[in-house]
Amino acid sequence: MDDDMSTSLRRMSSRTRKVAGKMAAALASSDNRTQAALARLEALENDNAAVEAVEIIDDDEASLDDEDQAYIQRKQSMNMKRKTRQGKARENAKKAARTFLELLHEANLESLPPHVPSYLKAAVGPPSSTSRRNLCTVCGFTANYTCVRCGVRFCCIQCQNIHNDTRCLKFVA
Amino acid sequence: MSSNVIVLDNGGGYIKIGVGGEREPTAVVPNCTARPNSSTVGTTAASSASTKKLLIADEITAADPTSLSLRRPHDRGYLVNPDLQRDIWSHLFRSLPLPSDLSVSSLLLTQPPFALSLPSVRRPLFELVFEDFNFRSLYVSDSASLVHLYEASRNPNGVASRTQCSLVVDCGFSFTHSVPVFQNFSLNYGIKRLDLGGKALTNFLKELVSYRAINVMDETLIMDDVKEKLCSVSLDVPRDLQIARKSGKDNLFRCTYVLPDGVTHTKGFVKDMDEAQRYVTLYDEAISPKAVAEEKIEQTNVMGKYEDRRRIDLTKNEFNLTNERFLVPEMIFRPADLGMNEAGLAECVVRSINSCNPLLHPVLYESIILTGGSTLFPRFAERLERELRPLVPDDYRVKITTLEDPILGVWQGGSLLASSPEFDAMCVSKADFEELGSARCSRRFVQ
Repeated sequence: MDDDMSTSLRRMSSRTRKVAGKMAAALASSDNRTQAALARLEALENDNAAVEAVEIIDDDEASLDDEDQAYIQRKQSMNMKRKTRQGKARENAKKAARTFLELLHEANLESLPPHVPSYLKAAVGPPSSTSRRNLCTVCGFTANYTCVRCGVRFCCIQCQNIHNDTRCLKFVA
Repeated sequence: MSSNVIVLDNGGGYIKIGVGGEREPTAVVPNCTARPNSSTVGTTAASSASTKKLLIADEITAADPTSLSLRRPHDRGYLVNPDLQRDIWSHLFRSLPLPSDLSVSSLLLTQPPFALSLPSVRRPLFELVFEDFNFRSLYVSDSASLVHLYEASRNPNGVASRTQCSLVVDCGFSFTHSVPVFQNFSLNYGIKRLDLGGKALTNFLKELVSYRAINVMDETLIMDDVKEKLCSVSLDVPRDLQIARKSGKDNLFRCTYVLPDGVTHTKGFVKDMDEAQRYVTLYDEAISPKAVAEEKIEQTNVMGKYEDRRRIDLTKNEFNLTNERFLVPEMIFRPADLGMNEAGLAECVVRSINSCNPLLHPVLYESIILTGGSTLFPRFAERLERELRPLVPDDYRVKITTLEDPILGVWQGGSLLASSPEFDAMCVSKADFEELGSARCSRRFVQ
């Protein structure tokens, strides 16, 4: 029915890659400071502080109303079907919410010709001036010093102590 | 005919839903489901049975906001979890006073730019609309052109309607877009995106407060409220930082927010609204020095009360905010401060305009329209204008218009479009979808 299968020629396995944001950043760079910065930005897009791993399992019970006929039928048909490992994996892959980055990866936008506007082209890009204000991550005021290990800024020795005690290298995988 | 169009502005943060042709949407509800955190649910069996229930959309706003774990169907503004979205939509269609027979209604749906060019977003979306909900026809629009339409009709003598073009800055929940609109169509080569929106700002505030005062990492909804009530855009960051450093009553930014305790009050609140508003005097000074003098007298009057206020009450859960109040919205203007390798909003606007035809530049600068929930921070437009002015050639005028309700602007534009006579011809019908598939149907919405 859909003709867009032909456009994405690249074959992909149906298995969803479960790479945490932190790990992805760690794989991309070997440097502590970039890792810390990337992981910190990644954390800003999370809905909940802790990632729930159990969500997938109890999802079935989270159906809106239990008298939903379609839901019961689906459950019955699922029970009748012979369970294979592959089928299970496919079922799980379908259920698990995929992140936007996975969808973006699937769309294969890099292969478009350079003049076609796309999601990737629309990003605003780096600032024209490279100077950034340095704000203390502990108290928020202007910071003159940098942590030698993780590259986070702080303004005074008190803040440095707090930083070292609490979250130096917190975001590094 | 027109009453059978359902207009659905499906934002990452809030769903705005209503019937086409009306002035106000039927409902504005959060686009997520929530479940009380299993660790904090009461130990008694009765309470856990009642609170374990999954809350959907409008039920969230009524419920106790503490420690809800949220699931959203959108990630970075794009639909990633159609199953969850179906649950939310079907709940809304069932509970709200909307046309009950969807098979004779049309749907006007908003999607972020480029959503239809991603097959894994587009396909589930069409399937959702036509297969799960059986709509008769569908029109997918982007929010910028709807905002332009609304602004043009609201203000027929304005630049936007006379020239038929404008620059829409949509600073929403998931990201910020700057979109040039020409002849009611958005120019997709001019769209620039800044990956910062209300969600990132709330999370940033959450992180700051959790690190400096109380752990609120699980309290997304409460921190949303804190952000909306207390944050504002600073016009002079170094000066404000100096003020925020001061102690006692010289510190005009300090204010206290009380977290809900679940017994006497279930919603959090600002402890003292006067105290929270003191910083406004900074901006009034130039305009009315007299008001400031009066303010001062008033302040001495409440000195006794003030002493009382300064003590942190340990029986209550509350925290102080100082420089967070303006540093959080500041990130939209200077993402580099956060370590993001992205230009700020002003530069985003300039780049977006520069990628259009040079003849359009002066007109676009003169009709910048702000929309989206994150533009509700006080003095947002003023700050943008101040940052924009040095970047724009001298002989161009810069004019920034704010919609009267930036959250609903897109929906109201959609409502106008849905009631226009040409609307039916622009839609894709269910038969078209079954015949052609989602890819070819979506091409009809792209110019």
